[in-house]
Amino acid sequence: MPHLPVVQRLIEALRCLPGVGPKSAQRMAYHLLERDRDGARRLARALDEAGERVRRCRLCRSLSEDELCEVCANARRDRSLLCVVETPADTQAIEQATGYRGLYFVLMGRLSPLDGIGPEELGLDRLGARLAEGEVRELILATNFTAEGEATAQYISTVAREHSVRVTRIAQGVPVGGELEYVDQDTLSHAFRGRRDL
Amino acid sequence: MSHPRRVALQPGHVLHQRPYRDSSLLVEAFTPDFGRVGLVARGARGPRSRMRGLLQPFRPLLLSWAGGGDLATLVGVEADGPMRVLAGVGLLSGFYVNELLVRLTARHDPHPALYHAYVAVLAGLQDSGREEPALRIFEKRLLQELGYGLLLDREATSGRAIEPERLYRYRPELGPVPADEGAAQYPAIHGRNLLALAHERPDFDAEGLREAKGLMRNAIARQLGDRPLKSRDLFQGAPQRRSGARGSGGDA
Repeated sequence: MPHLPVVQRLIEALRCLPGVGPKSAQRMAYHLLERDRDGARRLARALDEAGERVRRCRLCRSLSEDELCEVCANARRDRSLLCVVETPADTQAIEQATGYRGLYFVLMGRLSPLDGIGPEELGLDRLGARLAEGEVRELILATNFTAEGEATAQYISTVAREHSVRVTRIAQGVPVGGELEYVDQDTLSHAFRGRRDL
Repeated sequence: MSHPRRVALQPGHVLHQRPYRDSSLLVEAFTPDFGRVGLVARGARGPRSRMRGLLQPFRPLLLSWAGGGDLATLVGVEADGPMRVLAGVGLLSGFYVNELLVRLTARHDPHPALYHAYVAVLAGLQDSGREEPALRIFEKRLLQELGYGLLLDREATSGRAIEPERLYRYRPELGPVPADEGAAQYPAIHGRNLLALAHERPDFDAEGLREAKGLMRNAIARQLGDRPLKSRDLFQGAPQRRSGARGSGGDA
C-alpha cells in the first residue's frame, strides 16, 4: 500500500536531515504517528519556533535569538579581545574548555576557493569594519589546523595588520596525555617547530 | 575508458577535499600516472580517523585505491616524507595552483611531466619571496602540458629570434610580435623576459615579474573561459582592485 499523501510529505520533509535516507525517514514518520503523537507535536512546535526566532547575531554572526547573542551582549566580557572561529560549535568548545572572557567572530566556514568560498562569503569585510572601529586590541585566530583553516588565518592576519591590531594564532602541538611515539608525524613536526623557551 | 581496478602506493597530492555523505570525504587527488582522480575516503571525517590529518593539500602522500569507476575508493594513505610547510603568500599561491589543476585538467588524464612541475612549484612556494617566479614556470609548463604551449623564443610571424632588449606584444594563440608593429591591446613584455621564461631561468626584476604575470594571466584566462579563479580573491589588494584585469580575461 502506498503512503498517504500527507505521510509521504512528512517522509520527504524528514529527509532534509543529515544522514536520513528514505528508509530512516519512513521509520521516523511512522514512529511519530503510531507511538508518539505528543512528541510529534512538540517537535513541530519547536521546529517552527526555532525557525522563526533564531537569527544571526549582528556582531559575531553566530546564531542568536536577539539582535545580539548572549556573549556579545554581555557587558562584563572583554571587548578588546576578539577570537575568530569557523563554526558556532567551535565557540562552544572554547567556552567550555577555557576561561576566555573576550568576544567571538564566527566565520560560518573557512576560505575555500575550490568551493567558491572567498573573503566576501565569510563576511570578512565586516570583520575589517569591526577592527577599524579600534576597540579590538588583540585578534585571536582559532580557525582549524587544516590547509584551508591556515589560509583563512593567514588572510585575516593581513587584514588585521592593516588596522594595526595584534594578531595571535592558537598554539598547536602534542595532545595532553600524548606520547611522542604515538603522535602522528605532522603534529609532532608542528610541535617541534613551535617549541618555546622555558 | 576503463581504469585499473586496484592501484597501490601511487605518489600523489590532495588538491581538494569536501564532505561526502555522513562521515566520508570526497578527495580530488593529483598523481603522476593517473592524473587527477576522485577518491572517496570512507569514514575519514570520523573523530578517530587517521586519514583525516594526512589528507591535506600540499602534503606528499602515497595513495592506494580500488574501483574502476569515476570515483574510486581510497583504501590506504601514507605520508611520503616530511610535510611541506607553506605559509603566507606561498600558502595562498598553493590554493591558486590547485584551483588551476582542478579547473584545467580532466580526471584520469595522466600528466607525469605536469606532476613533476607541480611538485617543483610546491617546493618553490616554500621559499618566501621567490613564489612568483615559481608560479610563472609552473603556469608555462601547465599550458605546455595542456597543449597550449607558448611561443617564447621566436617572433610569431617572421620567425626571427627574440632580441633581449626589444619590447614585444604577445598575441594570443600566435606569439610575440614587435611592439612597434601594433597589437597594443595585448600584454607587453621585453625579449629578455620571454627568453627567461623559455629557458626557465626566471631571475626577473620587478618589471619582469609584472610582464611575465601579465602574459601568463592573459594566456590562462583564455583557457579558463568566463568563470574567474576564486583563489585570486585571496590575494589582498590584488583581488577587488584588479577586477578590471579579470574582466579582460573573459573576452578571450
